[in-house]
Amino acid sequence: MIYEVRIASKEKTDPKGQNLLAEIERTLGVKTIKNIRTAKIYRLEGISKSDAKIFTQKVLFEPIDQKMTFNQPIFKGTDHLVEVAYKPGVMNPEAGSLLKSAKDIGIDLLAADSSWEYAFFGKFAKDQLQAIIKRLLVNETVEHVVEKSPKTLLISGHAGKIQTIPIRGLDDRQLMELSQDKLFLNLEEMKVIQNYFAKIDRDPTDCEVEVLAQTWSEHCVHKTFKAKLIIDGKAKKPLIERIKETAKFSQKFIVSAFVDNSGVIDFYNGWAVSGKVETHNSPSAIEPYGGAMTGSGGVFRDILGTGQGAKPIISTDIFCFAPPSLPAKDLPPGCLPPDYLLRKVVAGVRDYGNRVGIPTNNGSIHFHNDFRAKPTVAVGSYGLIPKKQANKRRPKKGDLILTIGGATGRDGIHGATFSSGEMTDRTIEVSGSAVQIGNAIEEKRIIDCVLALRQQNLFRTLTDCGAGGYSSAIGEMGQKIGARVYLEKVPLKYSGLSPWEIFLSESQERMVLAIAPKNLKKVLKICKLYNVQSAILGKFDGSKRIKVTYDDQLVCDLSMQFLHHGLPQRRMVGKTIVKMIPDKPPKQPKDLSAVWLKVMSHGNVCSKEPIVRQYDHNVQGTNALHPLGGVNFDAPNDGAVVRPILNKPYGLVVTHGLNPILNRIDPYWGSIWATCEAVSNFVAIGGDLKNAALIDNFIWPFPDEESLADLDKSVDACCDMAKLLDMPFISGKDSLSSTYRYPDGRVLKIPPVLLISVFGKIPDVKKTTSSDFKKVGSTIVLIGKPDLKNLGGSVYFDVAGGQSSSVPKINLKSQKAVLTSITAGIRSGQILACHDISEGGLAAAMAEMCFGSDCGAEIDLSSIALAKEDHPDFILFSETAGTFLIEVANPIVAKKLFAKVPHVIIGQTIKERSIRVNLGPKNLCNLRLDQLKQAWQKPMKEIFHD
Amino acid sequence: MIKPKVCILRTDGTNCDEELFYAFEKFGSSPQYVHINELRAKSKKLKAFQILALPGGFAYGDDVASGKILAVELVSFLKDQLQEYIIKKGLIFGVCNGFQVLVRTGLLPFGKLGKMDVTLAQNESGHFECRWVNLKIETSRCVFLDDHKRQVSQLAVNHGEGKFFADTKTIKKIEDENLVVFRYVDEDGKQTQLYPQNPNGSTNAIAGICDPTGRILGLMPHPEKFVDITQHPNWRRKKFDPPHGAFIFEEMIRYAQNS
Repeated sequence: MIYEVRIASKEKTDPKGQNLLAEIERTLGVKTIKNIRTAKIYRLEGISKSDAKIFTQKVLFEPIDQKMTFNQPIFKGTDHLVEVAYKPGVMNPEAGSLLKSAKDIGIDLLAADSSWEYAFFGKFAKDQLQAIIKRLLVNETVEHVVEKSPKTLLISGHAGKIQTIPIRGLDDRQLMELSQDKLFLNLEEMKVIQNYFAKIDRDPTDCEVEVLAQTWSEHCVHKTFKAKLIIDGKAKKPLIERIKETAKFSQKFIVSAFVDNSGVIDFYNGWAVSGKVETHNSPSAIEPYGGAMTGSGGVFRDILGTGQGAKPIISTDIFCFAPPSLPAKDLPPGCLPPDYLLRKVVAGVRDYGNRVGIPTNNGSIHFHNDFRAKPTVAVGSYGLIPKKQANKRRPKKGDLILTIGGATGRDGIHGATFSSGEMTDRTIEVSGSAVQIGNAIEEKRIIDCVLALRQQNLFRTLTDCGAGGYSSAIGEMGQKIGARVYLEKVPLKYSGLSPWEIFLSESQERMVLAIAPKNLKKVLKICKLYNVQSAILGKFDGSKRIKVTYDDQLVCDLSMQFLHHGLPQRRMVGKTIVKMIPDKPPKQPKDLSAVWLKVMSHGNVCSKEPIVRQYDHNVQGTNALHPLGGVNFDAPNDGAVVRPILNKPYGLVVTHGLNPILNRIDPYWGSIWATCEAVSNFVAIGGDLKNAALIDNFIWPFPDEESLADLDKSVDACCDMAKLLDMPFISGKDSLSSTYRYPDGRVLKIPPVLLISVFGKIPDVKKTTSSDFKKVGSTIVLIGKPDLKNLGGSVYFDVAGGQSSSVPKINLKSQKAVLTSITAGIRSGQILACHDISEGGLAAAMAEMCFGSDCGAEIDLSSIALAKEDHPDFILFSETAGTFLIEVANPIVAKKLFAKVPHVIIGQTIKERSIRVNLGPKNLCNLRLDQLKQAWQKPMKEIFHD
Repeated sequence: MIKPKVCILRTDGTNCDEELFYAFEKFGSSPQYVHINELRAKSKKLKAFQILALPGGFAYGDDVASGKILAVELVSFLKDQLQEYIIKKGLIFGVCNGFQVLVRTGLLPFGKLGKMDVTLAQNESGHFECRWVNLKIETSRCVFLDDHKRQVSQLAVNHGEGKFFADTKTIKKIEDENLVVFRYVDEDGKQTQLYPQNPNGSTNAIAGICDPTGRILGLMPHPEKFVDITQHPNWRRKKFDPPHGAFIFEEMIRYAQNS
């Protein structure tokens, strides 16, 4: 018997219902719904009726503002009633809390679940209801509409048998059939596997094939980045080698680079900081809420899995979507609409990061039509760890394999292999099980627990269970020594999993630790204190093999040598194809003000405040530069500065940069731009390049010849910038599946994204600056040399209908000196405000500096225009990364600070709340700040109903 | 002088514990992290402390309702310890999630363990809000706060369920008994129902309350996140000396020391 309890708000206000109503009106244009009410439904199984009523009174129901029904409908007179629940088998994080609370009050409860009921009041058509359900209410990957109350909440089943795959007898075609949609290996790789088993004279088990496919997946092993390359007929070093070489530049402060779950650099007083940025594009494309959650969860565990466990202290999020206004007809089959993706990804980051208690204090969002088939979702995290525990140790022979955290279910099967493939209209169908809903509190528990274990030095080493689950985690940890695993010991969410599924499952919130047997008792005690489930799965046994059994049946027995070194190095050929874009600059605008307002409303420039406010960017109390500041707390800063050790002044500075549009037009200069933008943001807030490291993320289309040649140029640009600035890359990741194939075979390449993140230390957070102008009568200076000719890929060209294949060229000769001069000015306290110039150009940067202040600005463009053809629109909207607007007290300070670098005094801050732009004696435009701000804030306010 | 001992209570999903610990330490008390399982197992006891502090966060994921599962746990397992602690005149301080827990145990506003009289419901905006707000300090029954003569402080709020709500009679009783300690105010220092100055739609702009003994205080905003100058978004624009969250800790610790 299942009892159903419905709880709804007594008051007329129902924020959840109102938000849905607003969203229906905005996206579907349905205006006939008068009201939407929502109720929570709890289902309780294996409980007596009287206990169910007691449980309801004590735990579920709060009569102050709620009404309740027991086994009865709660809303009367509704026109439609829809209940949305997680599908059976998808873990609902709330269920565990319900069971705990029942136990706490001494009530027997076998199983519990919760869901939401939506009551619609008002007449509307059936197909409109279907549209509401499909587009706004239900993600069919993990949720369903409950038509009939379930008879039981328990999931059971019999474990599947271990299958043998007769690989030795397959021909080429059959090998590829086996690989397709599941293993994502190519024929050469399939043949290597075939030969191995031919040599050892047996066929593999299903698990062995899966373990090999996972270990050899692009996602896990980065075949392209390790491949021998021939680009335009010339042999070139593997991409990863070139990037790793940059780590030689500044070895002094590098603690570890490219060897651990994140890169680590020195901090102060015996501490180190680590950084990692991951992408989670494929899961987010088909289930954005769960995808964003598990993306965040994964990167936090990467930090936690660094050395002997770093504490996550910052979370960052960078997204690329199609514009929310994308017409439905332009959406490729099998893809989700961009505004839905945006809202759900934001909600996922919010609900996960906020609960785990890690401040999300840096990020950005970019829009371009060609992200319509697949978004880019990058999540980063930074951590703090004692330096002496920051280097990874290896397990010793005899160490126990301990798993801690969540139980294992069927979720996330094939995540690693699926993320390595291109997206098609069938992806949602075939790979639906690859995504899941995260449980943030489980993650928080394991973070608390691991940090407590680390403090007492109770484990040898650890790693997180990410892509590939136990297979990947144990396989990697035991790479040199070998591991023996007993799968029947794995705690399961429900019965019915086949052994290979248990080994490969990517259920979230699990870590694997290597423990010396003598510490086991203490470890288990701490796990118990933190309510963390744990189990010993086996040991690192010195066999140099990975041997896995399930109740004495052999599941997997492979040599570590073959598993980790059997994959042949790829040889790949790239060929440059120059993108032909006709040069068509927009006509000189008659009304600069109108264009300026349009630029401010562009997705890549507009305010993201409604998103930032939903993220807890202030938890841990460490912010010394918040994402938003200024008089009304609404002006954006260029990055994050935190003080991770609260009683010390030491700062960790974190920023990033990217520009997919420029990358696509010109992979080399677009990548120079992205790197320059990242370091400019870093310097603009007070970061010190001498004590900073870089992280790369290449989110690229599938590497066909053209995309590979582009990727090669992008890597070259990264290395050139690293060399120019003497900065090392210490961590990175590539995801080469930004390709969508239409049902008819046409291919859509998603714009390539090079995302560069920078993090570094400064001795005192007080020596930093924000972007808001501080005073009336200050001098405004443009630092650096803007490119006034090349505006290809700019926001201005986008809104004014221009195009060009010439993207901004950064003046590399003066760049380092420019950056150094800014650092000196901030350190000496003479730069009162600083903002780097990026999308939207000088115009957008200046507007944002005014938004946070209580003044306006007056500038004269004639000081910048050196040649006749330097038009005012180009000066205002040129997007040259590496140039800055700064505020200083007076021209003398400017001249002193910037004597050795290109700079121009362009004007001063004024009392009037407007921006006046002159060209010599002529006034070009005069814009009120409230107009500019309204244009800038409107787009995201509309989507998030603020 | 002996430093008052502060129990920083932690459980699954607690997350503002470190900054709370830091604030208590900075202003001269001796904080200690205590997991609720340690209190349940009696390996640590509440009576060893002078201040019980419940930090912000998402205890047990705020499943069912914010702070609910922890409140049920406290009432079920620690009723005796809590009652003993309260009789011995220990101070209790709940911030954000801690305030939600105190309200759901019934300790606030009327000190009735197990009977809930007010609620902190979902924000009217329908989602989590992270922003800075202006707060007026009322003259109240809170025993350890000085009379701040309606001083206005700027503090951060970070929550999704902070809308203070009760029936009219209860609200009147709370106000008549001077249990309101903090209210959201606008730029002119007037209490407000306007978003976002009142970030969640709280009735009569109530942001924090105490119980009739004045020894239990709970509030939604986070004083522990503004005890150093550089924690404010605009420390580069304006002088904030002392930081606006400091006085709560200074006065609470001083009171605990003297009693």
